[in-house]
Amino acid sequence: MINILLAGVGGQGTVLAAKVLAQAAQNKGWQVRTAETIGMAQRGGSVVSHVRMGSEGEAVHAPLVTPGTADVIIAFEPGEAARSLGYLKPGGTVVSATSLVQPVTAALSSAPYSASEVVANLREALDRADASLRLVNDGEVLAALGNRRALNTVLLATAVACGAVPLTLEELKRAVTACVKPQFVDVNIAAIDAAAQR
Amino acid sequence: MMERVGVDGRGADCLYEASQCSKIASMLKSPENTGQTMTKKLLMANEAFAHAALEAGVRVVAGYPGTPSSELIETVARLHAEGHAHGVHVEWSTNEKAALELLAGASYAGARCLFTCKQVGLNVASDALMSLNYVGCGGGLVLFVADDPGPISSQTEQDTRRFAGFAKVPVLDPSTPEEGFAMMKAAFDLSERHHTPVIVRPTTRICHASTFFDVQDETVSRPLPEGGFRKSPKWVIFPRRAWEAHGEINERLRCMQREFCEPPLSRFNSVTEVAPGGSIDLAPSFTGAEFVSALDAQEAMDDVMEWEGVARPVAETADAPSVGVVAGGVSAAYAREALRMLEQAQEAAGKQLPAYRFMQVGTPFPFPEDLARSFLKGLDNVVVFEELDHVLEDGLVRTIVEKHLACSVLGRSSGMLRDRGENSTEDILNSLTSFFGVYADADLDRSLQSRQPFRFEGDLPTRPPVLCAGCPHRGSFYAVKRALGKKEAVLCGDIGCYTLGNAAPLDAVDTCLCMGGGITMAQGFSVVEPQKKQVAFVGDSTFFASGLTGIANAVYNGHDITVCVLDNATTAMTGAQPHPGTGVTLMGEHRKPIDIEAVLRALGVECIVCANPLDLHESVAAAAEAIEYAGPSALIFQSPCVQLKKPDPAAMVNPDLCTGCKKCITEIGCPAIGFDAGAQGPRSRNRGQAFIDSSQCNGCKLCTQVCPFKSIVLTSDSPADAAAARGATNAEEANHD
Repeated sequence: MINILLAGVGGQGTVLAAKVLAQAAQNKGWQVRTAETIGMAQRGGSVVSHVRMGSEGEAVHAPLVTPGTADVIIAFEPGEAARSLGYLKPGGTVVSATSLVQPVTAALSSAPYSASEVVANLREALDRADASLRLVNDGEVLAALGNRRALNTVLLATAVACGAVPLTLEELKRAVTACVKPQFVDVNIAAIDAAAQR
Repeated sequence: MMERVGVDGRGADCLYEASQCSKIASMLKSPENTGQTMTKKLLMANEAFAHAALEAGVRVVAGYPGTPSSELIETVARLHAEGHAHGVHVEWSTNEKAALELLAGASYAGARCLFTCKQVGLNVASDALMSLNYVGCGGGLVLFVADDPGPISSQTEQDTRRFAGFAKVPVLDPSTPEEGFAMMKAAFDLSERHHTPVIVRPTTRICHASTFFDVQDETVSRPLPEGGFRKSPKWVIFPRRAWEAHGEINERLRCMQREFCEPPLSRFNSVTEVAPGGSIDLAPSFTGAEFVSALDAQEAMDDVMEWEGVARPVAETADAPSVGVVAGGVSAAYAREALRMLEQAQEAAGKQLPAYRFMQVGTPFPFPEDLARSFLKGLDNVVVFEELDHVLEDGLVRTIVEKHLACSVLGRSSGMLRDRGENSTEDILNSLTSFFGVYADADLDRSLQSRQPFRFEGDLPTRPPVLCAGCPHRGSFYAVKRALGKKEAVLCGDIGCYTLGNAAPLDAVDTCLCMGGGITMAQGFSVVEPQKKQVAFVGDSTFFASGLTGIANAVYNGHDITVCVLDNATTAMTGAQPHPGTGVTLMGEHRKPIDIEAVLRALGVECIVCANPLDLHESVAAAAEAIEYAGPSALIFQSPCVQLKKPDPAAMVNPDLCTGCKKCITEIGCPAIGFDAGAQGPRSRNRGQAFIDSSQCNGCKLCTQVCPFKSIVLTSDSPADAAAARGATNAEEANHD
């Protein structure tokens, strides 16, 4: 069983990322379930998508990942990686974008919300329990691609390329091609290649 | 198919069915849509339920949007538009009551009908539902009512299973999307067989879970029976007829209770027994009926003190369980997984769970008492996992009392488990560990309890949902507050995206009760606190759904309130559904939109002012005019939802002009505006400066009108400045591997 948690801010594209992973799992003949945050939280709130794959041919029954059992957390924002850390299992992997999305609550507050501090705390927490952290400089990758919307694909490709999700980049490309509109296939394939080379 | 469009006395009809129900059940299938080609698709459960209803031959589908239910109707509309679903009418009705009444008519004529709403939507439709159950339906009438434990996107944690009991209507409660798919089809048959509305009640975690389904490529709605609607006194509810019908309802509920304990419907109620050290199935493998017959067989065998050793689900007497676990809905899936985890942890530690019995209930009302009685046999303690109310718990307690059994039941009302909010595998795992330890006296490995290896030590800002960047509601709220100035006022909000106007810094929603409630609540405040100004905010879809009676009341009774209609030309919160004011129907037809201003005028509102909420000067002036008016007045803010239009060029902060005063942040709280405490400029010294995230900004220009130093400009005005502003958004970029 592979448990994946996608954590981000409403509007960042976690739902499509979950769909791509589900399609890839289905292509491998695995049973798969996903669960989404839909509704009020989609308006810029914290959102998580759960993806559970029966990677050894087993049945998947419950839709949600249990805390302490996620193999991978794919975070679209470092603060959201931190917020969902309780889901990770010992030895698991966190793949996280480094760009902050500053919530209104932080802009209003006098307490600073700093990416370097969040990332440092993340690294410290993960080191304590033998887990790995893979950071993605999303601002740079997406600027090079010329498309900010490809963040979800870049993160998925990073998770695949570093071996945290047991799929190949070719399998990911096939799933992405099946899930996005035809006019967006090329930019997503380019995003996978760009992420894999880093 | 047993058609039921005759006009005979329905009491006799039902008694006939009571004796025949299992036989009829096995005969019933939906023959219309067989022999079709199928495709495997990744579907969200709500999408799959739409396919199930279409495959069952549904002809009319109506409802009102509400999370987590909305995707079902949208899927029906899409499949119709793509030419895959033939002969179906689908619509967003003005509200839930309108939808259910429309469907009652179509059902009387013999059409299979589907109603959809979220849990609180059933409150709106309840007037229709209560009587409809007495009248009964013709074609199968299924109510898809999505509950929202948590609640995640709702104003209550009400339990539709409880509503079903109150309305005396059967309810099916799926534990997985696949089971919901099967239940949706079974519900149409059940409805037609007993002339009863049937509720299918999934919860958010079922509705929004996705998996792969085999679905038919084409569906055709079932034709109406010959002659369509047949006139009969039974369609007219009178006290005398209601008295008769009540008896019929009671009889058919008894009949359905039995059906839920026998094949084929007992497949939704499984019972299994796990021996010490055994392992539970993650999916139901054993139906309740098989369990009952096996238990009966064992009793017969025990009577003659011999057992042939054939496979049977009931354990040998020495290992007979004394404890049981009951679960319904998605909690059944969590409980199975928790039990499996607990079993594996014991095995790893060289220990084992004692024998236990597990019962999964998919038909909470009428409660499958016959099955529960067999399940409870010999048990001393039972724990029940369900969300929202304690419906299964009550059913078990009632069975125990009625049958003089000696078994205690622990659940939501007993105080052992959480009494509100969602369940989870983790939570159930912890409860089960305690339960087996205390009530089965088991020596257990408890290493799984509360294990979260990782904890984040730093502080994180909360991230609640907010009005989108560029949302026109932000300008509407801000203008009204500016126009009010220091004048004391109560701001009554309503249900929709604009409830988020409550958050700081707008702080523009003092109350929120229910759909359309803000308009009428404002009138109550005005009666008792006339010295204050009362302002009600209502969205355009909510205005049509349930705002009109409140407006009529204000005009008729002369209440001095100002109603602000936030017209963004869609039903935004639930995903941009059309409504009477948009002129577009779900089936793609274009009609003349109903004009909100004309409606207000026709209802007798004499002061009506319109404004563009993204034009601050115009909006403040309009708000002042409406607020000053003595008597009911209306203010219509017109600007489309930002999700529906292409973004305009982003705004940017000119670092040479920004003083770091933070007014853009503290006045309007746009998520695209952040603050960089480290930024420096000639006028900000070391106060820091605001910045605009160009990837979020939609170019609404509200902030450019709020900044007192004209330091916010559009990027289109100065390309070089635009590039500089984009650089600022990445000022906080961390180092990376």
